[in-house]
Amino acid sequence: MIKLYDYELSGNCYKLRLFMSMLGLEYESVPIDFYPGREHKSDWFLRINPLGQLPVIEDEGLVLRDAQAILVYLAARYDTSRQWYPVDDPRRLGEVSQWLSFADGITATASAARLHDGLFYDRDIEACRTGAHRLFRILDDHLWFGEQEGCDWIVAGDRPTIADIACFPYVILSEEGGISRQDYPAIRRWCDRVKRLPGFIVMSGVFPAGPAKAA
Amino acid sequence: MFDTSPHRWHPIAASSDLVSRHVFHGQLLGREFAVWRADDGFVNVWENRCLHRGVRLSIGINDGRELKCQYHGWRYANRTAGCTYIPAHPADAPARTITNRTFAAVERYGMVWSAEQPEGEVPAVAGMEEGGQLVLRPIPLNASADRVVEHLKSYAFAPSAALDAQPVEMAVEGGGAFSVALLARADGAATRAAFFVQPVDSGRSVIRGMLDALPDGADRVTVLRHHNQRLTELRERIEREAARLPAPEPMQPAIVPVSAELAEMPELTPSGRKAALRVQVARKWQAAEGIAALELRTVNGVLPTFQPGAHIDLHLPNGLVRQYSITNGPGETDRYVIGVKREAASGGGSACVHDTLRVGDVLAISEPRNNFPLRRDAVRTLFIAGGIGITPLLSMALALDHSALSYRLHYFAQAESQMAFADRLAELKGNLVPHLGLSPEATQEKLRETLSGYVPGMHVYLCGPGPMLEAARAIARDCGWPESAVHFEYFKNTHEIDDSSSFEVALARSCVTLQVPAGRTILDVMREAGIDMPSSCEQGACGTCLATVIEGEPDHQDVYLNDAEKRSNTKIMTCVSRAKSARLVLDL
Repeated sequence: MIKLYDYELSGNCYKLRLFMSMLGLEYESVPIDFYPGREHKSDWFLRINPLGQLPVIEDEGLVLRDAQAILVYLAARYDTSRQWYPVDDPRRLGEVSQWLSFADGITATASAARLHDGLFYDRDIEACRTGAHRLFRILDDHLWFGEQEGCDWIVAGDRPTIADIACFPYVILSEEGGISRQDYPAIRRWCDRVKRLPGFIVMSGVFPAGPAKAA
Repeated sequence: MFDTSPHRWHPIAASSDLVSRHVFHGQLLGREFAVWRADDGFVNVWENRCLHRGVRLSIGINDGRELKCQYHGWRYANRTAGCTYIPAHPADAPARTITNRTFAAVERYGMVWSAEQPEGEVPAVAGMEEGGQLVLRPIPLNASADRVVEHLKSYAFAPSAALDAQPVEMAVEGGGAFSVALLARADGAATRAAFFVQPVDSGRSVIRGMLDALPDGADRVTVLRHHNQRLTELRERIEREAARLPAPEPMQPAIVPVSAELAEMPELTPSGRKAALRVQVARKWQAAEGIAALELRTVNGVLPTFQPGAHIDLHLPNGLVRQYSITNGPGETDRYVIGVKREAASGGGSACVHDTLRVGDVLAISEPRNNFPLRRDAVRTLFIAGGIGITPLLSMALALDHSALSYRLHYFAQAESQMAFADRLAELKGNLVPHLGLSPEATQEKLRETLSGYVPGMHVYLCGPGPMLEAARAIARDCGWPESAVHFEYFKNTHEIDDSSSFEVALARSCVTLQVPAGRTILDVMREAGIDMPSSCEQGACGTCLATVIEGEPDHQDVYLNDAEKRSNTKIMTCVSRAKSARLVLDL
């Protein structure tokens, strides 16, 4: 069974719990005392991930770190629909990669602001928030024009991709870092759509959406 | 600083922002709004604050008919913003003072307009045809509205039919404190644009723009991108300039806990039964054989919030006052629909509704009262309706059905033709179980079958003719239902009232002691002494005039309290019940 080195309050760990729930995958969660124990910097954990970061998975002998990399692996290995990571469509595949990278930017800004506010990390909070707002403006613009073309997801197409999963957690948790989403109505609507995907689960600080109107 | 008048209309959202089952987060002059469109199309603009713990309602759940707070699940109705349910108090009807603050909402030119105290109409925009315009992507920016308006005057764009044209001739055609109208001409093409700057807060704004029309051949998205690009560049310039100045203090809108009208104490009136509302019969139809349905709509203002199980007093033209349950589903707050059965032995009430009332008639009604509240925490709910007893249970079943909670509605009627509100019943699909044409014995047998299989956490709601309710309550007892899980509402009290006793009533809070002689009721005597007490049916059936007993032994003659409540001697219906002891002390 897949083993996930996990921390409940980590948006990047939630990303994987969420995606595995959507794929219907069973996994074993190994809780890591990220705060205040700093277990991810302990000697035993550094042997698993020398970067000292969560999440990490182990699956059939493979040890893999980095949330976005793990999403790629899980989608390519377990998604029989081949929609979450569209390997057969180079154009969309490229776009997925572009937005996975964008998700790293969200982690570096919105997640960092949340670590500062919630877990007392030493960060330049204004720079984090400004950086997050810059990215959110870009994402809102992108999603708004997507809506004009009838597209619900970050990468155009009928179905969501791991780009949506990669970006969602630290967007929806942004207010814990003092970053309001009031100015991003298209992002707020997209969040509702992600929450309505089959298999969606929550974590602390993430609320469920109500049912969509029956057609 | 710009004009912060609460009377001026401003756009606060694009109509397209309010997608189905979503809550938009808006703000105007510092005040935050939760803005949501119900399934019936109504746009709600509310204070962004749950009355319970102040949590933002913009993160709540729009279920199409009600908005549910994420924190403790308080539910507020479409249109009225009245609280309909508090999960922590599942057996109680929320007080009518629990009503969130609502603000005006008008949709015009593809935008939602609001104001705290609007005066006049939403302004007409010269050259813009309602419905024909193209609404641009709103641009939020960190700068004050007056600064944004100044910069917008020099906004340059190309006509929609000639996006690549050079040069473009720009002209400012008009504008005001928060708006600018521009005209772009090039290559014989012209496009008119109107921009409104929404003052979100002292240092934050949203540019909301629209174009007069989309010419033939122009691609909508290309035109939208053209403006988005230019407005984004304009935003960069304005924000750079604004960032050089000290940020203004955010505005501090006053939060009003409860509207003045709701906070007012009820007026003291000698008559007791109040008919504060005026409604008009908007529709009258045959809901089933022998059953007339009335759709009542407000003459002015909005109808107060109702909860499933609530009833109104209807003051009829012939002077009679009758109680009728509201049959509406959740969120259907623009009307009250009631069903009235023609009684063979009518005392004049049902005959008046059937024979005299016409569409257009104006009637006086009381505010809805709910003495038959619905819990929503049951593991499974049974509804058992006999005949016209369907009316409160229909409203309850529609509420549980909409929330996808487990229930079953058993409807006992003489024939299918006598089942009222067939269209609404159809919405319940397989959860409706009709039992038609059964004899009293067969009815009892069916009730026994229906009520068997009680498990803790189930609740049953009964409404129907007296003999059927008596039977159902006895059977429920036999089947192991605790009294606290059996809820019922009688149409009327058919017991002979024995008013031969005389006794003393002390009102503890009012510091008054009154003598109740034979032939008069506690309610009458209290009213005579100037003590206001709400009442409705005045025959011990509806539960409105309930009082708490502190001392003494009541002589219960009502059909509202259940046996356990009666035995406890802690409650009394002051319209019919009396005292066995020489003295009663009430918490009034």
